Amino acid sequence: MDFGALGGAIGQILSPWPFFMLFLGTFLGIVVGAIPGLTGAMLIALTLPLTFYMEPFDAVVLLVAMYVGAISGGLITATLMRMPGTPASVMTTFDGYPMARSGRPGRALGLGITASFVGGLIAWGVLFTVTKPLSVLATRFGPFEYFTLIMMAMVLIASVSEGSLVKGLISGLLGMLVSMPGVDPATGMPRMTFDWYMLNGGLQLLPVLIGTFAVSQIIKDSLDLGALPDRAEMSSKGMMMSLRDFLRHGVNLIRSSFIGTFIGILPGVGASIGSVVAYTVTKNVSSEPEKFGKGSEEGIVASEAANNATVSGALIPLIAMGIPGSVIDAILIGALTIHSIQPGPTLFLTNSDIVWAMIATALLANILMWLLMTSSVRHISSLIYLPRSFVLPVVMMFCVIGSYALNNTMFDVWVMLLFGVIGFLLEWARIPLGPFVIGFVLAPLAEEKLRSGLMMTAGDLSPIVTRPFPLAFTITAIALLVWPLISEYRKRRRTPE
Amino acid sequence: MDRRSFTEIGVAALVILICAVFWIQANRLPPGTFEPLGSGPVPMYTAGIVILCCLIVIGRALAVIFQSPSLYRAIREEFPGSPRMGGILMLGSSAVYVGLLHLQVASFGLITFVFLAALIWAMESFRFRKAPLALIVAAIFAFGAEYLFTNVFVVDLPV
Repeated sequence: MDFGALGGAIGQILSPWPFFMLFLGTFLGIVVGAIPGLTGAMLIALTLPLTFYMEPFDAVVLLVAMYVGAISGGLITATLMRMPGTPASVMTTFDGYPMARSGRPGRALGLGITASFVGGLIAWGVLFTVTKPLSVLATRFGPFEYFTLIMMAMVLIASVSEGSLVKGLISGLLGMLVSMPGVDPATGMPRMTFDWYMLNGGLQLLPVLIGTFAVSQIIKDSLDLGALPDRAEMSSKGMMMSLRDFLRHGVNLIRSSFIGTFIGILPGVGASIGSVVAYTVTKNVSSEPEKFGKGSEEGIVASEAANNATVSGALIPLIAMGIPGSVIDAILIGALTIHSIQPGPTLFLTNSDIVWAMIATALLANILMWLLMTSSVRHISSLIYLPRSFVLPVVMMFCVIGSYALNNTMFDVWVMLLFGVIGFLLEWARIPLGPFVIGFVLAPLAEEKLRSGLMMTAGDLSPIVTRPFPLAFTITAIALLVWPLISEYRKRRRTPE
Repeated sequence: MDRRSFTEIGVAALVILICAVFWIQANRLPPGTFEPLGSGPVPMYTAGIVILCCLIVIGRALAVIFQSPSLYRAIREEFPGSPRMGGILMLGSSAVYVGLLHLQVASFGLITFVFLAALIWAMESFRFRKAPLALIVAAIFAFGAEYLFTNVFVVDLPV
């Protein structure tokens, strides 16, 4: 474990300008996470253009801090309004809101904030210890290993996404497909450009991201501008957890944090699934399962510890292998690429300062999140009542600026609008958007690895079944594809006619 | 009916159309000369699998519709009320806004001010008492953003 490098990165972040980025990122993340309709993915996608002119170190600090803050901020809305500020906080609404309505909002928020902090810390410990050895292992991966890993990740993302496996596959593969127009990286010839010069450079990540995540969300939120839901009164009473609370919830905190970390590591799965699994496991092993959904402390702790743990967990495959652990990680990959940093196993060798900046920020932002939320949650919570009729048009303006800033071309702004509509339609048909973006980010890498592998073997695909890692990844992918069919068949056999 | 069968059919059909266009384009690409795969097969296979998945979605959605006692009832269940205008308003005004920026009819600040003021007021159902607030917010964000991006962040704006 490289404590020296970590200490160096922490020291650098604590200098004035990077610390300002850390503070700004965490604070904005919490606020945006707390405002219903705005998400962390939206914030980070919109902030990307502003980072073009920053040092990569500062940009990484800002974006990772936003990531940590946004996942945590959703807790406030979930507790006070029964409306998850971010999808990751859905499970917190089940117990946070009933507890807040029963006159203990401070207690509900305090449990959630501290559980988020502990979850983040435990996952950070795993991030710090596991990432480097994993990246060393990943440097031994050849093209077929990478190709099959990406394919496995895509199937995994599709299989755990909201909705059916088929819809997840449509989303992921459509994302891959729309990344393909432009100059073919292997031959240098334009392909699928419809003889339109604007497409020679392909569709850029940023307008696609902003359109898919921000514009589609704005359109969706604009459909229903009715009054915000009933809300609980805010009070800071009972905010701090006592030692007795820690002892009482210790096992739950540790278990949920590890569940969140593990689920975060799985490519593309993300915080929402992490909190659902941790909540379900905690309910199943609880001595008071009947209290879940009615203001259970265990429920809040499980959900919040797990969703924050997924942040550091998801950074592990990103740093070690260049595979995004969540949608926001896919955006972070885009940010690295924009700064000419190639994500992947060699990142530790080529840009170790950036890697350590990410790891150190994950720790410091988590601490800062706890300090900010415990000290000013009362003030932050007043922001969640901003009327959406005022917020959404302003966010749309930022979407236009963000898309234009990449290449100074209105073409990108139109692309953003188009993908906003596509994203809205996909979501309306219950086709998840996460796989779409991850497919868009991973497709060029997958194709490059497949084609370079085939060049090495003169068109022979047999290494996929003769090498251990590709074989394992392929079997896992096939199992993930086939399992829902077997499961449905068994369910039908059990159900009487 | 919790499922959105008609929406699923419509969206899946649209995706099939997009994939078919990509498939035709990819099919026209020449085979690889110095590498075994060439440019075409990856997009072709990807488009093919997406089309197959969309056909499954359409098949499932049709099965749900046919299980419904009547087609009219299925439509009423999926589209119970009048269309919600907020989304159309947002999308339509954003398209006009981007169009005006594209045509460079005025400065970024001015076009954005008009866009924000009109849209905010429209989303507040044109209530007169909201108009001053809409104008103030629009002015702050439109001209504030113009100043901030051009003078502080040094980012180019559309006009």
